[in-house]
Amino acid sequence: MKKLLLLAVSTAILALGLTAADQPAAPKTLRFGLVAKSQSNPVFQAARVGAEAAAADLGKRYNVTIKIDWETPADEDAAKQASNIEQLVLAGESGIAVSCSDAAKVTDAINHAVKNGIPVVTFDSDAPKSDRFAVYATDDYKCGVQIMDALGKEMGGKGVVAILAGNQNAPNLQTRAKAVREEAAKMFPNIKILDTYYHKETPADAAAKVEQVMNANPQITGWAMIGGWPLFTKNALKWKPGDVKCVAVDALRDELAYLEDGHVNLLLAQRCYDWGYQSVTLLVDKIINHKTPAAAFVPSELIPVTKANLDAYKKNLDIWMPVAAPAK
Amino acid sequence: MLKRLRSIFFFQESGLLLVVVLLGVLFTLKSEPATYVVMETGADGTPQPVMTTNPDGEKVPLRKERNKFLNAQSLAQLAKDTSFIGIMAVGMAVVIISGGIDLSVGAAYALAAVLAAKVMHYYGPLGDGHLMSPLSGTLLGMAVCIGTGVLCGLVNGGLVVLLRVHPFIITLGTMAIFRGIAFVVTGGQSVTDFPTTDGKMAVLQGVIKHETGNELYLVPPAVMLLVMVVGWLFLRRLAAGRRVFAVGGNEIAARFSGIRVENVKLGVYLISGLCAGISALMSLGYYGSGSSGDGNGYELDVVAAAVVGGASLMGGRGSALGAVLGALVIQMITHGIILLNIDQNYSRIIIGIAVIAAVVMDNVNTALARRRLARHAG
Repeated sequence: MKKLLLLAVSTAILALGLTAADQPAAPKTLRFGLVAKSQSNPVFQAARVGAEAAAADLGKRYNVTIKIDWETPADEDAAKQASNIEQLVLAGESGIAVSCSDAAKVTDAINHAVKNGIPVVTFDSDAPKSDRFAVYATDDYKCGVQIMDALGKEMGGKGVVAILAGNQNAPNLQTRAKAVREEAAKMFPNIKILDTYYHKETPADAAAKVEQVMNANPQITGWAMIGGWPLFTKNALKWKPGDVKCVAVDALRDELAYLEDGHVNLLLAQRCYDWGYQSVTLLVDKIINHKTPAAAFVPSELIPVTKANLDAYKKNLDIWMPVAAPAK
Repeated sequence: MLKRLRSIFFFQESGLLLVVVLLGVLFTLKSEPATYVVMETGADGTPQPVMTTNPDGEKVPLRKERNKFLNAQSLAQLAKDTSFIGIMAVGMAVVIISGGIDLSVGAAYALAAVLAAKVMHYYGPLGDGHLMSPLSGTLLGMAVCIGTGVLCGLVNGGLVVLLRVHPFIITLGTMAIFRGIAFVVTGGQSVTDFPTTDGKMAVLQGVIKHETGNELYLVPPAVMLLVMVVGWLFLRRLAAGRRVFAVGGNEIAARFSGIRVENVKLGVYLISGLCAGISALMSLGYYGSGSSGDGNGYELDVVAAAVVGGASLMGGRGSALGAVLGALVIQMITHGIILLNIDQNYSRIIIGIAVIAAVVMDNVNTALARRRLARHAG
């Protein structure tokens, strides 16, 4: 009997929901969906902080409420990203910012959002064939060249290099790895690139990969880390400081210790806070000011961080990575 | 009439249906209204936003409000997202009923997707294969997708039977092998550009992503329902299906009853592989690309769906309907986290708690139903 009653009530609600009268909506709130690659990568948590900060700043400036909906999959899953984007469209978001795990998988979802009047920007990892109106990202090829140039100089132009490359499907990482290989071939003929090593983009998996590769190949004298994943763990790099040269991308708080103790020679900091901040700024400009950037590609320059400028750089991190996560 | 209605609620999956209904009621009541852009068909036949003039005199798209959960597009999207896991969950339920497990489904899904994608890319606009028509190239790709899934299943079943090693270990190994082959074949690249007749949409996408009405993509859910019905018929109406229950319930007794246990085991893994191939085909058609990263971690979602749906990891119990309902419950919870604007950082915790709660509710309901049946029989 109870089940029948429940069924009857549910049917009534169903009928009510389907026949509810539509009402025109007056937007006083802007909701932006933020779909990064994965929650477990700290750089995207910094992007979220940036997005929330931009929401607060721009909300005050334009006298609107801006909310950030953090709809990032727990682990890298391009199909889940596409599904989240579709859901954000159905939820009536005002705009969406995406860092694409696999451009081919999310392009249709991005185009679907744009077709439904929702502007989309990409950051960090683009979907170049999609209808996004802007991309805020590092020039990945230049990044790879910078990594190899710095590493080659540290190694004195000779030795054996391994490339740590993260998710093999990510287009931005593929471009960086390719640039490292090509720059080595062009500028450092006495440096041998041993191989490119992929792994699940969690700090523990990355650290395990470095350890496995070093154990199997003690001849390695240089690491080109096109992402700084292993440096988010403690004691990931087992060599004596100076024995192996290392240049890595990203310079968040946990990674700086490796610079301080000499395991890493140079960190190229991506402006991950700005991924979020600039994405929201671009969306607000588009929606409120009806402005789009002159060129779709809005470059994000890397910040070289060494022992010499470390203290000055650290001041960024109190803003980028506060101790408590932002409240939703 | 009341007696007949009562009998409906005594069936195994009624508890899960209750959970689905309760979740639906919760999301309907609790989610904020969503604004959507009103679309119309333009002069060129493509969807265009209906324009209106705002108080500032600007032309802007007309937006209306609707319930965020209870609308056709949202429900269709939920059904579509459920279908990829739901199809594989039916196959997994069959394996689990037999007392086995298949951890390689996600990897088999990826391998089937990339091999089919490679074939279709070859016969696509950027490939070198020009001897086949786009339709023939697509049909060949579809056959490769399903065939790869079946082959993966046969490999698993063959190794389980021949080596007499626990299927957990065998399928753990084949999970890595299938995924590795997928990576080597593609070099980590996404494979796309499938055969097309109009230069805009691939033939396969035109079928699987066929739009019914306004942005309703119903082919994957329809295929999931078909797989569920076939699975139900196999398990409940065919002798071969009953043999699966017998082997899972008591393998020794089944053997002494004259059941060829090895053939049953081979068959269940073949079915699991087939379901992985079908799901991969739906994914290829919907997303238009295949990559070695596809289906990463799906095996846990698929096992969870089958178990939430009533399949017992000890063997001898489960159903195709339960597996699909289990997949639906998990997807509803995942969607609900977005609908209710819950911080995504807590999504894994919430899904884990909700899965346990759903199984407990289902078990309680089953126990109560058995007690009522016993009372009526007595």
